[in-house]
Amino acid sequence: MTVTPEFQGTHLWDRLCWAKENLEGHQSDYRVVYEDSLDECAKILVPDPNWMACALQGGILPPVEVYWMLAQDEAQPDFKKHTRGYLLHNSKPIEAMTEEQAIEYLIMKDVPQSVWRDYDSGNKPKMVICRKEQLPGTREWRNAWKISEDIKATEQAA
Amino acid sequence: MALGKIKADTLEHSTAGSLDTSYVVNGSAKAWNSFNGTGTVAIRDSFNVSSLTDSTTGQYATVFTNSMSNGNYSHSGFAEHDGGTHALFATSNKDNHPPSTTKAGIDSFRGSDNAAVDSSQMTHIIVGDLA
Repeated sequence: MTVTPEFQGTHLWDRLCWAKENLEGHQSDYRVVYEDSLDECAKILVPDPNWMACALQGGILPPVEVYWMLAQDEAQPDFKKHTRGYLLHNSKPIEAMTEEQAIEYLIMKDVPQSVWRDYDSGNKPKMVICRKEQLPGTREWRNAWKISEDIKATEQAA
Repeated sequence: MALGKIKADTLEHSTAGSLDTSYVVNGSAKAWNSFNGTGTVAIRDSFNVSSLTDSTTGQYATVFTNSMSNGNYSHSGFAEHDGGTHALFATSNKDNHPPSTTKAGIDSFRGSDNAAVDSSQMTHIIVGDLA
């Protein structure tokens, strides 16, 4: 079993270099379907296999809250460049996650907060986690894909 | 990769001159992504990528693990369609305006009629400064 070195204080980029060399990518079967605009079709988050390997390994990725802090900085009207990038590198890396926990982390990192904070408060869910087999097999009418109004956010994936 | 460090400001060749190591650091690609944009979209291989957003026909975004320092990075891509019958081009899309430090969007469209199209062979590369 590959042991993760002590990475706190190591540049995140260098950790990813280590992971690329030492970890096998993991293709997740999960996909996250979400709608962040009423006027647009549903978007699909596809997890990266190398990132997933880092998440499953543990000790590499920073806490997701770090990304939220950087997003707050970037949202400032006078933002020019990140000055707190050290948060990515100096924060204590998170422990190994299960694949399901990794998907939750990824949602909180890569899906707009406006979607996942209250994804199940409207007439239909704004976000659904599914397996890739549950998506249409072809891209036909891709620009018209929407989350079904019949689906329940807590519905067990078939 | 060994975890030891070699700190140097200059690389010098025995006969071909020297190079400031900042050229290497600044000139290296900071993220890349090779993915299948058709059928069930999936990432083949990548570096410094946490996920791919499949937004609609021919429209995607590469999301970074290590954010970029600012939005003034450079990115480019290439796509191949129908076994190379059609050349496709990747450019920034509206998901990337204003440019974000966390993701870079690309459009894939057919050169002959500008129609948005998906491609089984899509690549994306990002060069710039890391946060």
